[in-house]
Amino acid sequence: MDNNEVQQRVKKVIAKVLKTKEENISDSANFIFDLGADSLQSVELVAAFEEEFQIEMEEDKALEIQSVADAAKFISQYLK
Amino acid sequence: MSNNISDKIKNIHRIFHPQSIAVLGANKVKGTVPADILVNILKAEFKGVVYPVNPKENHISSIKTYKYVIDIEDPVDLAVIVYPSSVMHMALEQCGQKGIKGAIIISAGFKEVGGQGIEREEQIKEIAKKYGISFIGPNCLGVINTDPSVKLDASFARKMPEEGNIAFISQSGALCTAVLDYAQAKHIGFSKFVSIGNKADISEIDLLYYLKDDPKTKVILLYLEEISEGHGLMKAARTVIEQTGKPILAIKSGRTSAGASAAASHTGSLAGSDEICDAAFKQAGIIRCDDIEEMFNKAIAFTYQPLPKSNRIAIVTNAGGPGVLTTDAAIKYGLELPKFNPETTSILKKSLPKTANINNPVDVIGDARADRYSVAVSSILKDANVDGVFVILTPQSMTEIENIATEISHLASQFDKPIYTSFMGEADVAAGIDILQRNKIPHYILPESMPISFATTYKFKKMLEDIREPADTFDDVKKEAAHLILNNAINEGKKYLPEEEAAKVLEAYNFPMLKSGLAKSEKEAIELSELLGYSVVMKIMSDDIVHKFDVGGVILDIKSKDQAALSYKKIIENVNRHKPDANIKGVFVRRMIPPGEEVILGLKRDLTFGPIIMFGLGGIFVEIYKDVSFRIAPLDKKSVDNLITETKASAILSGVRGRIPRDINSIKECIMRLSQLAVDCPQIKELDINPLIVLEDGSGSFVADTKIML
Repeated sequence: MDNNEVQQRVKKVIAKVLKTKEENISDSANFIFDLGADSLQSVELVAAFEEEFQIEMEEDKALEIQSVADAAKFISQYLK
Repeated sequence: MSNNISDKIKNIHRIFHPQSIAVLGANKVKGTVPADILVNILKAEFKGVVYPVNPKENHISSIKTYKYVIDIEDPVDLAVIVYPSSVMHMALEQCGQKGIKGAIIISAGFKEVGGQGIEREEQIKEIAKKYGISFIGPNCLGVINTDPSVKLDASFARKMPEEGNIAFISQSGALCTAVLDYAQAKHIGFSKFVSIGNKADISEIDLLYYLKDDPKTKVILLYLEEISEGHGLMKAARTVIEQTGKPILAIKSGRTSAGASAAASHTGSLAGSDEICDAAFKQAGIIRCDDIEEMFNKAIAFTYQPLPKSNRIAIVTNAGGPGVLTTDAAIKYGLELPKFNPETTSILKKSLPKTANINNPVDVIGDARADRYSVAVSSILKDANVDGVFVILTPQSMTEIENIATEISHLASQFDKPIYTSFMGEADVAAGIDILQRNKIPHYILPESMPISFATTYKFKKMLEDIREPADTFDDVKKEAAHLILNNAINEGKKYLPEEEAAKVLEAYNFPMLKSGLAKSEKEAIELSELLGYSVVMKIMSDDIVHKFDVGGVILDIKSKDQAALSYKKIIENVNRHKPDANIKGVFVRRMIPPGEEVILGLKRDLTFGPIIMFGLGGIFVEIYKDVSFRIAPLDKKSVDNLITETKASAILSGVRGRIPRDINSIKECIMRLSQLAVDCPQIKELDINPLIVLEDGSGSFVADTKIML
């Protein structure tokens, strides 16, 4: 899976969890500051990423991720 | 951080008096901080405009909501930020771009959590500095300004307090909410209410300078958990008190923290952080309180009533026991119960029953109704011998509790003398207490609290009258000589100075030392004795002789030239006879220490407050009696006086019970020289002069022993 595809699927997950449109989500968008995620939604996002990509992420580090680009990069490590 | 103090004060004014507020991170989730902050601003009926900022909401509480603060078309004075700490830098950066100069950062997750939190706090400080933003917080409850022209409640407290003249600054947010609840029940109002949290930018010091010129604030209350700039706090407090007469009352938590128990000197051991804080507060004029109740008991005395002209008070009671208790407490706290003028006594005699006590404390008797209280209190308030009245009431079947409360409130408004009250009990007296509190008459559950609060206000008034002059500085000191000794010792890796070098440091600062010298001949012994002045003591000096007395090597109380010559010869003869092989260096001649009182002077360097000066009863039992007091150098003359008068040693030195009065002026000079040494020589970590032998009045004092730690 290339990075572009990971980013697209990350955006799809974010759009679903944060109830927003995919086209509103830029690569650099911050989940909290730009997309309005609260702390509960940040946890939901991590769970949704794990389900989407069938991976198990290190929770503390996963919760530090704040943007689409960072999320794609972090998830890609688990897909290698 | 803003560039200078005047910019900061302007920014603080914007925080308290905004015309428009942006709430960054507001949301719709009721019961959460981001939602309640906005709700509180609206509930308080803020007199300006509010702009919620949230990236995914179009509106919150029917108010148009902006995605970013930079999207707001109009200018914004204050940003209240509730975003998580992870994105705080982004929020603050946009505030800077928007030109906002004042912010309240509510969110936690900064220095208080350590690790990444510390970095985040540094990051927001940098951004604030870049844009000239001043901010309260982070990790705080928020800010309240009750001024009717503003009505700002930018906090997540449960309720907005009543308007009043007390400003409250707290390092603990949780304590703020408890205080608001406590104050509401007693109708205590506030001018400003600030939770400073981590005080990463705006500190209690900045707020003191701001509140100094705040016309709505008469009394300032502080709750502090740690003091980061001791000298800054003292300077700000003194400025406020001296320029405006506004009292500052403070609780500094952590009284029980362990002192420097492993310290090498008596001073180091006795000067724990709490003692130092106590001394600094006293010196700055800050009234230190142990708990919230004490703080508000005193605060209402200051804010509701005029300062007393004297310590002469009268007590009016309908119950003997509480009257006696209050009288005892009044005497204990230095108040006087004067005799009334004959006119007052005459009125009381005519108006009260024969069984009443018409002398101070006045007992209007248990069946007193409002008329008896009224005549007693009003006639006493007119009496020139009395400058304050304590009214005590216990509820009997016929006691007109509410009428009496109303009458006292009415009388208080007519006289420029303080009236305090204690309606004892709870349920029956509640309505009366409510009347008193609404009319701003200080009320105390325990009657003994009245003298305590009165004495505090009187002491404060006296302190305002004190003229603060800097302590003397001396031109005869040799700072360079002292530095040379201290620096050489430090370069040699020494942790303390040997006794003779410590003595040289004190000599450089012209302390009164017991002069001495080594005589190598009879002629030198005579010359030295004449130079030092009689009486002198002579001692053999030889590395081979440990017990000098055993070999006849010590002669005391040598009073003349002939005795000096004879004593020298005799010591040499004695030693030659008892220890013929000893290598004799000479005879040590020192002036005899005349009898005197032993006191201790000390110095310790504190990380927060700098050099601490100690004075107390000296000798070997210093740490047992602990009769010591502390002040922060450089001292003023009043602090020098207080250092001495605060100790029990003061009475001994003054000549109590037929003792010889001692030369207190010479102690004061030594203290001032020590203060100068403390400021000039930061190399000294701790210093003990123990004992300083104080001779009779006019005869000076002498340093008998010194210890200096580096």
